[in-house]
Amino acid sequence: MAETFSINLWINEERYDRLSKVGLAGVTKDALAGMRVLQLQCAEEQKDKLLALYPMAKFDSATTKSIELVPAEAKEQMFNLVIERKSLDVMGEFLKGVS
Amino acid sequence: MEYIGHGGREIVERVIASPAEAKERIQGLTRVAVSGRAARESINIAYGFFTPLEGFMGKQDVATVCHKMALSDGTLWSVPIVFDIAGEEIREKGIKEGGTILLDYEGNALAILEVEDIFDYDRTEMAQAVLGTTDARHPGVRMLDEMKDTFIGGKVTLVNAPRFNPPFDRFWYTPKELRAKFLEKGWQRVVAHQTRNVPHSGHEWLMKGAWFAANGELPVEKLPTGILVSCIIGPKRVGDYIDEAIALGQQRLHEAGYFRDDVHMVSIALWDMRYAGPKEAIFHAILRENLGCTHHMFGRDHAGVGSYYDPYDAHRIFDQIPEGSLNIKPVRVLEWWYCPVCGEVTYSGLCGHSQQKQDFSGTVIRSIIQDKVKPTKLIFRPEVFDELMEAADRYGFGSPFCTEEYLSQRQPVFELGRL
Repeated sequence: MAETFSINLWINEERYDRLSKVGLAGVTKDALAGMRVLQLQCAEEQKDKLLALYPMAKFDSATTKSIELVPAEAKEQMFNLVIERKSLDVMGEFLKGVS
Repeated sequence: MEYIGHGGREIVERVIASPAEAKERIQGLTRVAVSGRAARESINIAYGFFTPLEGFMGKQDVATVCHKMALSDGTLWSVPIVFDIAGEEIREKGIKEGGTILLDYEGNALAILEVEDIFDYDRTEMAQAVLGTTDARHPGVRMLDEMKDTFIGGKVTLVNAPRFNPPFDRFWYTPKELRAKFLEKGWQRVVAHQTRNVPHSGHEWLMKGAWFAANGELPVEKLPTGILVSCIIGPKRVGDYIDEAIALGQQRLHEAGYFRDDVHMVSIALWDMRYAGPKEAIFHAILRENLGCTHHMFGRDHAGVGSYYDPYDAHRIFDQIPEGSLNIKPVRVLEWWYCPVCGEVTYSGLCGHSQQKQDFSGTVIRSIIQDKVKPTKLIFRPEVFDELMEAADRYGFGSPFCTEEYLSQRQPVFELGRL
């Protein structure tokens, strides 16, 4: 199976409420002593596209193997797509919309 | 008090303290405008941060640093400290070996440079030797690429002491001042923690672990060991933490009692990171040796970037240097992670729950804060979070991270007065 890389959408109360309303609260994971995170998966090609689109984003190759520091507005768009599609499989659509 | 720095050489301050004398010394000198990096390095040289260097390196020293990781007299040294200038400017201004020029930073006199050596050097060769790569995506390679085509080596004397703006004025100490401070605190051993981060609890535990390692066999009733947080202040990019938040966040750790006041202090060091991984680790050790530290903590991927270095290259290089060439001991540490089974931030070298571990890094914490989520107390101390937000309001135009607005309008870290 091809390797995938996660983007962490950190969940505050407002985001948690919105996920609950569409029945997705259960897809969040417990992380770091009581926080909740929603992890979207990217294929290698999608990771490279994201890093090219957002130069300030960083692939944390040393520790977490996740894509971090994607601008907040872009992550908000990803989150909105999750809510609209009621699915975590939104990276393809997100990248199509922004590129 | 003895001030012996790297290479067993005395720390000498090359600073003209009297404005009248400085004015006289700069009279009629050719002025050369310098970059922020050259200004920061001139200040470092003049106060002895780079002991035994008394000035910018000449060609012979650059060559031996590149190829033997030593100055031409054999003293261990790993990163060239060079002053770059356009050949055209040298010709236009008639700068010649044997002369003296005045370094001008943002319109004010900074230092005089005795022109001992004018030379060129293959910057690709320098990159390969020091950084281990010539890949233009490496920030250290980019720094070398952006340098002008000619170098001047020679002694530097500061004619105008920098005035540090708040909050940095609380954290700026010269090597001599720091050593006096350590003496006052009764510290026999000092372990340096280099940082460019607002501290999360992984950093806090790195420091605590390093304190235990440095204190070693010493008695514990009187706590003769201290931690020096040495915050690197240099060029910033959009998305980095603002400098003010880094220094103040570190300071808040002991103000809030996560460290006792008598074992922890915060300082700043002016330095433009080369991201040279292992070679830069050696340089950081030299720098902190000059500050009077006896130990230096090195974590995973110290001074690394991307995947140019193995995460522990910066540990291994200390096994490859000649014995006695450094008068500071490396404290080598693995990662700290959050373990949901232990219910705490714990050390990867001790915790057996590697399947359940939850990694975190400074980058992950920045992502969490960007997402407007307050990290939990075990991961990021609430007092440090509050300090970060206060610094954002006071210094960061509302953001704890560097924005274009911050980078163009921030108050400078230091300024020079008119002579």
